[in-house]
Amino acid sequence: MRLGPVGDRSGWWVEAAIAVFLVVFPTVMAALGAGPDLATRILILGLFGLGVDLIFGFTGLLSFGQAAFFGSGGFITGYLLIHNIVNNSLGALAIGTIGAAIFGVVIGELALRQTGVYFAMLTLAFGELFYFLDLSPLRNYTGSENGMPGVPKPTVPLGFTTLDFTSNLGTYVFVAILYFFGFVIARRIVRSPFGAVLRAILENPERAAAVGHDVRRYKLVVFTIAAAYAGLAGGLLGMFQGYMPYEALSIDQSGEIIVMTVIGGPGTLIGPLVGAGIWTYLRQELQNIDVIASIWKLILGLVFILLVTGFRRGIVGGVVTLVERRKRGVPR
Amino acid sequence: MIEAQLLNGVALGSILALVALGLTIIFGLLGFVNFAHGALFMIGAYAGWVVYTQTNSFLLGIATAIVFTFVVGLVIERVLIRFYYKRPPEDQILVTFGLGIVLVESVRGIFGGKTQLVSTPNWGAGAVQILDLIYPAYRLQVVGIVALTLLVMWLILFKTRIGLIVRAGIDDALIVNILGINVNRTFMLVFALGAAVAGLSGIIDAPILAVYPDMGTGVLVQSFVVVVIGGVGSFWGAILGGLVAGEIVSITTAFAPDFGQVMLYVAMALVLIMRPQGLLGVEGRT
Repeated sequence: MRLGPVGDRSGWWVEAAIAVFLVVFPTVMAALGAGPDLATRILILGLFGLGVDLIFGFTGLLSFGQAAFFGSGGFITGYLLIHNIVNNSLGALAIGTIGAAIFGVVIGELALRQTGVYFAMLTLAFGELFYFLDLSPLRNYTGSENGMPGVPKPTVPLGFTTLDFTSNLGTYVFVAILYFFGFVIARRIVRSPFGAVLRAILENPERAAAVGHDVRRYKLVVFTIAAAYAGLAGGLLGMFQGYMPYEALSIDQSGEIIVMTVIGGPGTLIGPLVGAGIWTYLRQELQNIDVIASIWKLILGLVFILLVTGFRRGIVGGVVTLVERRKRGVPR
Repeated sequence: MIEAQLLNGVALGSILALVALGLTIIFGLLGFVNFAHGALFMIGAYAGWVVYTQTNSFLLGIATAIVFTFVVGLVIERVLIRFYYKRPPEDQILVTFGLGIVLVESVRGIFGGKTQLVSTPNWGAGAVQILDLIYPAYRLQVVGIVALTLLVMWLILFKTRIGLIVRAGIDDALIVNILGINVNRTFMLVFALGAAVAGLSGIIDAPILAVYPDMGTGVLVQSFVVVVIGGVGSFWGAILGGLVAGEIVSITTAFAPDFGQVMLYVAMALVLIMRPQGLLGVEGRT
C-alpha cells in the first residue's frame, strides 16, 4: 500500500516556486481576510511538519512524541532570550534546535529499539514524560500551566547594526527565510544517497538491512534531524507569539502535526504546509463558536480517516498524481 | 499516610489494568493497537453518566456503559476496522487515532466541553475503617468491581470455547480459519469485548476522574505504559503492569508530588532497556 515519494524528479524549479510562494503568501492571506500572523503560524507548523514528513513520509516512522522536541526547543530558545543569556535570536534558535536534537538522539536511541506499533506507543509515552516534566519538576523554569511569557520578537545584532524583525510582517519574513532554508535542506536530504536509503527503509526495512545498511542508525539520524526541525519550529513559535505555551508539549500537539501531515500529503515535503494551512485557517475562522469548533474538527477527523483509508498521499500527493497522469497521457 | 497511598495505588492500578486488558486482548488477537481505546473509555463514561443522572442508579449506568460501548465497538469493527487487518501497522494506528478524534469531537459537539462532576453512587458514599486507616469506600469497591471483571474475562478467555478460539486465533488465525471456524466473527466479538471493557473502566472511573471529552487521552497513554511494562498480549502482564504503574504513581506522589507522573515513564524506559518484552511478555513475540 506504500507509494514512493513524489516530486523527486523535478529540478530547481520547486525551490523557486517555494520562494515565490513565500513572497506572495501574506498577500494571499490578506485577500482571504487574514493578516501575516496566520501566514507566520502556518509556516512554523509547516517547518515542524518537514521533520515529521522526513521520518514518517519518507522513512515510515510514525512518532507520536514530536511535541517533546517542539516544546523543548521552544522553551530552551525562549529561556535564553528572556534571561538575556543570548541576545541574538538566531543564536538562541540554534541552541534550542541543538538541544531538541540531543533529546532526539536520547529518545530515538530508546524508542527505535522497537518498530511499528511499539515505536508509536513509546514515542507517545516519552512525549508525555516531557509534558509532565514541564508541568511539575521544571515549573520554575517553564512556568508550568502559565507557560513562558515575554519571549522577545526576533532581532539579529550584527555588531555594527541590528536587523529588526519585530513587526508582524518582519516576523513573517524571519520565519519565511528559515522555512525556505529548512525546505531546501529537507529536499537535499531526500534526494541524497542518504535519502535513497531512507526510502529503501520505508519500502522494506528487512531488505534495506539485508543489503548491508545499518537501518537503526539511519533511522536514528533522520529521527534526530526531525527533532531538530521540531525544535527550530518551537523556538520560532515562542518568538512569534511572544509567549511559549505549555500546550506545545501536549499529546494534542503531537497528534495535530501528524493529522496535518497526512491530510496535506506525507512524502511530498510541501504536504505538511498545505495541511497546516487548512487546519490553521479553519481553526482561526471557526474556533470562537463552541459547537462549530467541535464540528470542524469532527469533519477534519472524518477527512483524515478517508485519506488514510483511500489515499495515503494526501491532497498534495493527489494533485501530483493527477498532473503526472495528464503529462503521460495514459490512465494508470 | 503511606498505607492510604498504597491503597490509592491499588485503586488506580486496577483501573489501569482493566483499560490495558481491553487494549491487550484486541492487540493480541487482531494484531493492532487501538488508539481509539481512550475515546471508548470516555464514551462509556458519558453513556453511563447520562443514564445514572436520569435514573439515579449507578448500576444501571454501568450496564448501559458496557452495552453501549459493546455496540459501538461492533459498529466500528464492521464499518471500518475490518478493512484494516491487512494494512501496515502505521495505517492501523492512524485510522484508530482518527476515529478517536471523531468520537471525542462528536461527544464535545453533543455535550459541550465542560467537565461534569459525577457523584459517587449512594452505596459507595462514605468511608470505611481498616485498622486505624479511614479510606473512601468507593475506591475499595472499584478494586472489587475490577477484580470481578478480570475474573469474568479470565473465565471467558481460558474456560470457554470462544476463548479457546480467541487464543488459537492469536497464535495462528489462518489455521483456525482452515479448521472451519469463522475467525472473522471472533475478531468482531473480541473488538467489541475490548471496547466494552474500556467503557466499563470509563464509568467506574467517572466518580473519581469526572467526565469530560478528553478524559480518555491520559488513560490511553498510561495504559500503553502498562502494556509495555507488563508485556504485550499477556493477560497477567496487564494486571501486574497496572498494579506496578498504579503503585509507582501513588508512592512517588507521596514522597515527591512533582514526579508522580514522571516516574511512570522513567520506569517504562527502564523496563524497555532491561527487559524489552515486558515483565511477563514472551520473548520474540511481536
